[in-house]
Amino acid sequence: MNEQAKKARDIIVNYKGRPLRIMEVCGTHTHEIFKLGLRKLLPENVELISGPGCPVCVTPVGFIDEAIWLALEKGCVITTFGDLIRVPGTEMSLAGARAKGAVVRPVYSPLDAVEMARQNPDEQIVFLAVGFETTTPSACLAAETAKKEGLTNFSLLTANKTMPNAYAALEGSADAFLYPGHVNAITGTSICEDLKDKGVSGVIAGFTASELLTALAVILKNAEKDEPFFVNCYPRVVKPEGNPPAQKLIEKVMEPCDTEWRGLGVIPMSGMKLRDEYADFDARKKYAMPEIKGRPNPACRCGEVLQGKCKPCDCKVFGKVCTPEHPVGACMVSDEGACAAYYQYGGI
Amino acid sequence: MSEKTVTLAHGAGGKQTSELIDRVFKAHFSNPQFTADDAAVLNIGDGRLAMSTDGFIVSPFEFNGGNIGKLSICGTVNDLSCMGAKPLYLTCAFVIEEGFPLDKLEEIAASMEKTAAEAGVKIVAGDTKVAGKGQVDKIFITTTGIGRIMDNADTSGTYAKPGDAVIVTGDVGRHGCTILLARDEYGIDANVDSDCAPLWGTVESLYTVTNDIHTIRDATRGGVGTVLYEIAEQSNVGVRLNAEDIPVDPAVKGVCGMLGLEPLYLACEGRLVIIAPKDKAPALVEKLREGKYSKNAAIIGEITAENAGRVVMETEIGAQTMLPQPGGELLPRIC
Amino acid sequence: MCVGLSAKVVNVKDGTALIDANGAKREVSADLLEDLEPGDYVMVHAGVAIAKITESDEEEANDVMEGLL
Repeated sequence: MNEQAKKARDIIVNYKGRPLRIMEVCGTHTHEIFKLGLRKLLPENVELISGPGCPVCVTPVGFIDEAIWLALEKGCVITTFGDLIRVPGTEMSLAGARAKGAVVRPVYSPLDAVEMARQNPDEQIVFLAVGFETTTPSACLAAETAKKEGLTNFSLLTANKTMPNAYAALEGSADAFLYPGHVNAITGTSICEDLKDKGVSGVIAGFTASELLTALAVILKNAEKDEPFFVNCYPRVVKPEGNPPAQKLIEKVMEPCDTEWRGLGVIPMSGMKLRDEYADFDARKKYAMPEIKGRPNPACRCGEVLQGKCKPCDCKVFGKVCTPEHPVGACMVSDEGACAAYYQYGGI
Repeated sequence: MSEKTVTLAHGAGGKQTSELIDRVFKAHFSNPQFTADDAAVLNIGDGRLAMSTDGFIVSPFEFNGGNIGKLSICGTVNDLSCMGAKPLYLTCAFVIEEGFPLDKLEEIAASMEKTAAEAGVKIVAGDTKVAGKGQVDKIFITTTGIGRIMDNADTSGTYAKPGDAVIVTGDVGRHGCTILLARDEYGIDANVDSDCAPLWGTVESLYTVTNDIHTIRDATRGGVGTVLYEIAEQSNVGVRLNAEDIPVDPAVKGVCGMLGLEPLYLACEGRLVIIAPKDKAPALVEKLREGKYSKNAAIIGEITAENAGRVVMETEIGAQTMLPQPGGELLPRIC
Repeated sequence: MCVGLSAKVVNVKDGTALIDANGAKREVSADLLEDLEPGDYVMVHAGVAIAKITESDEEEANDVMEGLL
């Protein structure tokens, strides 16, 4: 730990102000906070709540069903970020579909899926495009590249999401937000400034031990003043204007749409879909997919967990029926998921 | 276990693997010698023998630092060594896919012989089957070995005691990382080679320091993390690790950073986890550092009475957290 | 939400950058950053360089904490 991190740690450990509820919106924050044991340092009157910022966790059951339909009915090769493979659909997960003959390949980048399409012209490659503003540009680059090269065997199944309307849905869940640094690296800081004007406080945080300690210390110091605040604690990565070329690319390739968040329901205009000019690369259109409605397990309380309304351990199936090996809800799947993180790290 | 079919997670070496073994194999094979340790201990004549078997299906079959042949010898030699047994004889069974190049088979056999010679073990019988194209992935090898347990050795996963030190014999996760890179699924390039090595000499050297060694395990599939969880469960103790003391090669760290993986869960094929009384640990580490395959040996933590069955990490910010329990297939975490 | 990797740019060619994180190398898209040069540090996510960054988080903590105390 460097000197500044130690100072920040002291501020946190010695905080004696009013009770505070801080929500980390980003799943990687959740993960790092657990990995560092940061919660153990917090005084009793400070609570950290894990919000809906893990793309895997907010991916609805129906999206998995759609992917399985493409794999088993249409014989498509499914390419995806690794953690989506174990997310339960209505009947089964992609891992289950794989045991039934579906071809499912984890990739590091959607651009690798494009490369796979290039090299295997006889295979129909579908990439499962999940993620927030940070990840969406990579999916847009994939669609743009495929279009430019005239690839006919590559498409995206989109479930991309955006944060601004989600914050509105989360209003009142917390006294301050730990904003997701890598989302803001793309979008810039204006959305946080706007939230401050609406009375919502928060800081943009990075991901190292020093960055997380600093961000929390800044929240605790500012909370003393009792007025809305916003501080960019991650200036080495997040610029006020964000990444304009990425913003332009998203604007060119995708447009906002209503979308379902697992547990939160449909949030208007909080999703992104491919524009009509990219219809050839939209798996739903390309394969004339029927409407597929997922049926989540009714016992699962992932939705309330994501809104900070209940803790994972308040859910009846948590740790009993629902474990990382046999997840019922998506929050138990990804290491980033609030339930998985509580299950894995929470016991001490 | 609720599945009706075998999944890849059942083969990943974690919790689901033990569930499968308990439900199917233990249920059918139960007898007094059946073991959860790396090798069974058999009382035959006036001595104690250790016996072990292991199947190898690594893909690709050649990688930086070895091939499936070397691996198949090291695996069984190391399982025997972990029981304090000097490996004596091995048998090997090959299942080869139709169309497999003969020169590659010779290379594999040659490295088997070379590794066996180094470990002082003789390959005394074998079996060869050829399967039709597509029925197996190129080549599978199973080796079975027996060794004589040294009179002064008595180790088991159930012997770890509070106050013992936890030692690893080198940096963790190299083999798993090497295979991940060799598969070239993620387009990552790094200069990492497998730690695959026969470790009888390493084990033998430990007993020149002391006979008081409680547990020796080779951290293969599932890595050091999985082995520690197994020991914590078998001995009903806790394990406390110091995150900063765990040796990890920088490039392995880099690859893990890219894919969101934990090095403690990547396989090793030439690393031992040793549990021994704390006062003996420094001398053991000193001895290990003289050895060819254990130059980076380190004390990484200790056995505790609290947190029984769990592995806890002391983190860089001076807080404690749990090492996630080993589970399922290793999947890169990206978003 | 998004695992980011800070890495050093080794070279840049035709919209692709070779990056190095502790000796782990990979090609990533450089399409979203202008004027990327060898020696720059970038934040990489899902195979795309998304931001040019300064390497050390220590200086940053200094600056941020400075404003605070």
